[in-house]
Amino acid sequence: MSSPSKRREMDLMKLMLSDYKVEMINDGMQEFYVEFHGPKESPYQGGLWRIRVELPDAYPYKSPSIGFVNKIYHPNVDEMSGSVCLDVINQTWSPMFDLVNVFEVFLPQLLLYPNPSDPLNGEAAALMMRDKTAYEQRVKEYCEKYAKPEDVGAAEEGKSTDEEELSEDDYASSDEEVVGKADP
Amino acid sequence: MLPRKRVSEGLAVGDDDDNNSAGSSLPKKYRIGCFGSGPANSDIEEDSGFQVAETNSTGNCKSDLRTMAMGDSSSADIDEDLHSRQLAVYGRETMKRLFASNVLISGMQGLGAEIAKNLVLAGVKSVTLHDEGMVELWDLSSNFIFSENDVGKNRAVASVQKLQELNNSVVISTITTKLTKEQLSDFQAVVFTDISLEKAVEFNDYCHHHRPPISFIKAEVRGLFGSVFCDFGPEFIVADVDGEDPHTGIIASIANDNPALVSCVDDERLEFQDGDFVVFSEVKGMIELNDGKPRKIKSARPYSFILEEDTSNFGIYDRGGIVTQVKQSKVLNFKPLREALKDPGDFLLSDFSKFDRPPLLHLAFQALDKFVAELGRYPAPASEDDAQKLISIASNINETLGDGKLEDLNPKLLRYFAFGSRAVLNPMAAMFGGIVGQEVVKACSGKFHPLFQFFYFDSMESLPVEPLDSGEFKPINSRYDAQISVFGATLQKKMANANVFIVGSGALGCEFLKNVALMGVACGDQGKLTVTDDDVIEKSNLSRQFLFRDWNIGQAKSTVAASAAKSINPHLKVEALQNRVGSETENVFDDTFWENLNVVINALDNVNARLYVDQRCLYFQKPLLESGTLGAKCNTQMVIPHLTENYGASRDPPEKQAPMCTVHSFPHNIDHCLTWARSEFEGLLEKTPAEVNAFLSNPGEYCNAMRNAGDAQARDTLERVLECLDMERCLTFEDCITWARLKFEDYFANRVKQLIYTFPEDAPTSTGAPFWSAPKRFPHPLQFSTSDPGHLHYLMAASILLAETFGIPIPDWVKSADRLAEATDKVIVPDFQPKKNVKIVTDEKATSISTASVDDAAVINELIKMLELCHSNLPPNFKMKPIQFEKDDDTNYHMDMIAGLANMRARNYSIPEVDKLKAKFIAGRIIPAIATSTAMATGLVCLELYKVLAGGHKLEDYRNTFANLALPLFSMAEPVPPKVIKHDDMSWTVWDRWIVKDNPTLRELLQWLKDKGLNAYSISCGSSLLYNSMFPRHKDRMDRKLVDLARDVAKLELPPYRHHFDVIVACEDDDDNDIDIPQVSIYFK
Repeated sequence: MSSPSKRREMDLMKLMLSDYKVEMINDGMQEFYVEFHGPKESPYQGGLWRIRVELPDAYPYKSPSIGFVNKIYHPNVDEMSGSVCLDVINQTWSPMFDLVNVFEVFLPQLLLYPNPSDPLNGEAAALMMRDKTAYEQRVKEYCEKYAKPEDVGAAEEGKSTDEEELSEDDYASSDEEVVGKADP
Repeated sequence: MLPRKRVSEGLAVGDDDDNNSAGSSLPKKYRIGCFGSGPANSDIEEDSGFQVAETNSTGNCKSDLRTMAMGDSSSADIDEDLHSRQLAVYGRETMKRLFASNVLISGMQGLGAEIAKNLVLAGVKSVTLHDEGMVELWDLSSNFIFSENDVGKNRAVASVQKLQELNNSVVISTITTKLTKEQLSDFQAVVFTDISLEKAVEFNDYCHHHRPPISFIKAEVRGLFGSVFCDFGPEFIVADVDGEDPHTGIIASIANDNPALVSCVDDERLEFQDGDFVVFSEVKGMIELNDGKPRKIKSARPYSFILEEDTSNFGIYDRGGIVTQVKQSKVLNFKPLREALKDPGDFLLSDFSKFDRPPLLHLAFQALDKFVAELGRYPAPASEDDAQKLISIASNINETLGDGKLEDLNPKLLRYFAFGSRAVLNPMAAMFGGIVGQEVVKACSGKFHPLFQFFYFDSMESLPVEPLDSGEFKPINSRYDAQISVFGATLQKKMANANVFIVGSGALGCEFLKNVALMGVACGDQGKLTVTDDDVIEKSNLSRQFLFRDWNIGQAKSTVAASAAKSINPHLKVEALQNRVGSETENVFDDTFWENLNVVINALDNVNARLYVDQRCLYFQKPLLESGTLGAKCNTQMVIPHLTENYGASRDPPEKQAPMCTVHSFPHNIDHCLTWARSEFEGLLEKTPAEVNAFLSNPGEYCNAMRNAGDAQARDTLERVLECLDMERCLTFEDCITWARLKFEDYFANRVKQLIYTFPEDAPTSTGAPFWSAPKRFPHPLQFSTSDPGHLHYLMAASILLAETFGIPIPDWVKSADRLAEATDKVIVPDFQPKKNVKIVTDEKATSISTASVDDAAVINELIKMLELCHSNLPPNFKMKPIQFEKDDDTNYHMDMIAGLANMRARNYSIPEVDKLKAKFIAGRIIPAIATSTAMATGLVCLELYKVLAGGHKLEDYRNTFANLALPLFSMAEPVPPKVIKHDDMSWTVWDRWIVKDNPTLRELLQWLKDKGLNAYSISCGSSLLYNSMFPRHKDRMDRKLVDLARDVAKLELPPYRHHFDVIVACEDDDDNDIDIPQVSIYFK
């Protein structure tokens, strides 16, 4: 394994090579945003989220912290803060994993198979367990309302004044589908 | 790397303990209030002379809430402020036994002084020092108590005063005449550091057969060799063999079988071992197991085990259940010295590369005893005749051993043994002082497994590599003569003129300062020792940071420690600084400072600071001697340029944190409750008031920022600020009581009611399995009652703290339970109505997006309007006072509040509650610490310091150590070499750096790398990207000077004296393999 200092660079590179749209703030590597599409064959399909990724000092020994910036209705995501209670990220992270795993595997899995038994959003969990159809309906409404390309872009405008190099749009501007390839 | 990183903000350099807040520079306040309700053992309290914490004589004890409830019978007998870190290791029972123990230490040279120091700090009842001899100049190499002025005085008498200063509650007395064995009956444990074998056998026989037996320890350090022998009597009971908490597991299923398979949830790995005994509780269905009977287990696996019990006819397991290990006591049958000498049994091994040493040293120490008995003196330094004499005595003894005869006597080793045998070296004394001190604690308390029975150790590798002329060892009438007799005058001189940096002057730092002062490091004309620490002395430090006294509380650690070290050895050239070491102090610890150093010794308490120093040592190619302790455990790691890997090369996995959802709604142990309590404490008393102040200081700007953010978080923050200033704003103390009462209802009744409304007890998950299955615990709401002391105690702490945030004076009557109850009963508590939208799924409206998802922006605007209105009603200059958590002040109610919150929550979930002390250990993340393991770690490091300063040692001469005095276990091994990376015909390690001169542009650097067959795709400086091949925008930077990019993009500040800066380059070879290249230094001047 490469030295920890280079892991940030390599992981970021791999993420971009896998066609994820990465948005950095002033070329800092501690904290950045990544766009994430809801996986196919899930009620989240068609949704687009801005994911805030923070790499702690001890990365990759410590897991990256992941949060949804625009709202999502999900049993394991805190509705207010967007924090993810995802076992594999917070609990069983190993330095062998990298950011591509997070976006290609962990997050799609989370959206495809929510775990209502350990809810962070109790209301969503209860609804999912009692009435799957109503739950999926609610998920779609949230996607419709909060998870459109405008929502992801719109969030930038308010903040971008002091962030001169906010978006790395010139790269990967093609809006092709970059749906996480989860294997179910 | 034992010492864990702390959660606390900041604090890069500190001591070995954990006073978290960098800002708390105030001396500890003494407790107020009463200490009435100490539990058992009041019989000990009478005569043991331990400190009783100050009490406020005016307090009306009867109704003082500080002593009621919470299981917080904060015992009047242990000074918890002083001993908190040690209590975290030993627990109350062991401490009480220690407080009742009388110990004899015979022989007050270096080793005796170290043992006495450790025991006085630990707080035994009395220490009696025995020595018939006079202080000699020779003793000053290893004894930190004596100064040149003491030469000629009796050693025991000369030691009393300085030892007494360490802890006033220990009775210290002396015996200066010949000991008789009958005198030993006054003691629970006796230690001999300088005694003939003949006498030792006689005394030991007496102790062994005494009723009750007297624990007997014989310990010696002779040059670089040491030995310990323990005999705690024919039947010694060890109450706790390892000091670890009993392991537990949460049951998932139990079979009806013989034997029965028990499976646990895969939440956490089980730590049981075959043969362990366990008890069960809370099992539903198979209730027969809840009888509390210990049962044996086998086939222990990570998530299951086999129970040796026929459960075929038991009830069928339904759900629930916790399995807990029962710690078994152990009986040890010690042999007396007389027998053990002939039949020593298994030796405790410390170094596998020296597996054949212990029997040889066993023989060597007997031969030395015989030499001294015959000649009346020790072998002279570098005397070949004396060495030969010793060798021939050894081989004579060997001949008598029959079957146990050794094949190779290793004359070379015996020769060095003879040469140095008269010298007591400070590092050896420190190391063995720690070991023996711990054995005495074990003997007095039954806590931890004793050393059974012989331990031998040598550090031959510490000797200089080059053979030395015999003139080197001649005494020069200096305090270092003993050390010179082992290492020679050349090394002594090198040590004297060394430039050393000790980072931190806490527990490890104090010991290191003492050690280097005694060794004469940085005591010459060219010598220099820099010690830095940004922390101040607190009371809890005094139980092991032995250079500090109570009158130093509040003063800077480094200054006090440095002047104390100077009084040990006035020649020490020490400078004390109060800077924390980190990137922000690189103007203080600048390039010149680092370049001039010979060696760096870490005495730190957190991983981040260690990693920083490691990086600096790596950069400046300086040896780094690293160590740390955790309770009875310690480790040392040598980082030697180009020979070993660096500290950061291998790491422990980060500490496990409980998942958010568990802490949020489904706690299943007290840690979860405490984590929750701490975060609520911070939210209510620190963050919200701080947020309110932010609003008040500039309402316009604040509201604009919130409008711009426009998200759910901004909305949530505004709601809290508004709530705090509007609904919850308190004007009187009664308002605070109302607030506290309603919070109670919200936390411990309403939220639970809502949760069990959303997830009823019988709720199934999507798969049909019960939702409330292990490890989740089904909660029950609490019914508030003023007659419940726990409820009232919480209420008191919460209302007092809230009043503090609003600047409301706290009335005296709050401490009266009756008055508080009366006030509380007046509070009107509205009935709870569950939110129904989640339950009624048939209702059309409920499934559509509810009020929760109304446009955030609109709500925010509404909130801001209300807030502005509210602001206009506030008195001018209104401000709140945010409260920062401080665990070490027992009078500030912080821990009362946190323990209260945590315990009420624990009651909700039927989790066993904890007392305030235990809560403080967990929530305050107090790192358990004792003097013994600290002393030992520094001794081990200083044995390595000889090697570093002598120079020329190979990798195999160095040792890293992991030790656990509780077991006891010593594991020493060669350090790991650095990883070598090869590319084409080049190779490098982490110690290498590449240099590019002539102020290159980005393009030139890329070309420079390309010429080596390396394609760089990413270049960074600090945490900023200077170049990434994926960003077309970065192509514009090609022809800019790297130094300009570093200044502009990475905001790198380059002081005028700096000629270069460093970048990290990620690159691939031509076959697209990642190549980990060294840091690249760019020279721009």
